[in-house]
Amino acid sequence: MAAIVRISSVCHRGGKLLFYRSSLLARPLVTQQKDQDRSYPLTARIHGSSSLRAAGSVSKAASLHWTGERVVSVLLLALGPAAYYFPGPAVDYSLAAALTLHGHWGIGQVLTDYVHGEPKIKMANAGLFLLSTVTFAGLCYFNYNDVGICKAVALLWSK
Amino acid sequence: MALLLRTFTRQGTCLFRPQFGILCRHAVPMGTTANEEMNTFWAKNNKLNRPMSPHLTIYKWSMPMMMSITHRGTGVGLSGGISAFALLALVLPGNYPYYLDLIHSLSVGPALLSLAKFGIAFPVSYHTLNGIRHLFWDSGKGFKIPEVYRSGYVVIVLSILTSIAAIGYM
Repeated sequence: MAAIVRISSVCHRGGKLLFYRSSLLARPLVTQQKDQDRSYPLTARIHGSSSLRAAGSVSKAASLHWTGERVVSVLLLALGPAAYYFPGPAVDYSLAAALTLHGHWGIGQVLTDYVHGEPKIKMANAGLFLLSTVTFAGLCYFNYNDVGICKAVALLWSK
Repeated sequence: MALLLRTFTRQGTCLFRPQFGILCRHAVPMGTTANEEMNTFWAKNNKLNRPMSPHLTIYKWSMPMMMSITHRGTGVGLSGGISAFALLALVLPGNYPYYLDLIHSLSVGPALLSLAKFGIAFPVSYHTLNGIRHLFWDSGKGFKIPEVYRSGYVVIVLSILTSIAAIGYM
């Protein structure tokens, strides 16, 4: 209350306008509170606060995901020359991991862009997870039981 | 007083009594997340069977637009190719050199061979080079429109050159 009075004292016309606007806006809220605010304190009814905290942690997770995507991208970029100059099992398995993860996250972004509706999103992401798992398993199997990714590319190109 | 109000607003709490609801108004944050609102938007549109406004068919295509969707297209294509390779590795009985010799024995001819090599090399090359361009954007650089077009042309030219060079190699 005092804050609004102070504002109106500083800037007369603007302050009056602010006071009227905010009081008009606040009126429905005040009546709503009077009706419902009987059995529990106001703090519990700030329904936004729990979703605000949830939104904060969701935002943090999304931010970390973004950074993770860039880190894997740079790693994959470095694995290119590494595969050329130092072919072998270390690079083979690193490539399997980096390629699968980069692809998984990339397709995930495509799904996020084009798939809408809670059940469809869940299905699509489940399918992607399955595909990525099989891809990683297949690449590791290839690295273990066959020539390995680096050698495979070299052989393919020697055609 | 204002400081007090700001502190409580940030924490999303409001300890005032109802008759001071006018102050609490600033302390009540949004009830829904952006994700929830987006889902509501799509659910409503689907339920009402609303047609989608034309967008891709009417907006003038620009070079950055085409490069962006090509980046996505090559990414999806390469990812699909890798997954297909991994699946075949798990399912097919023989080993890699066996199948390579099988393909060799088809005697495809040099022109088609070069085309196939280009078909593999170009998506890899384009996606990698444009990916580097993306990483520059992520660091905050190169957003001015002339820069966007210039870096775009560089990526296209380098992709084609490196793919052709890759065909000639070995």
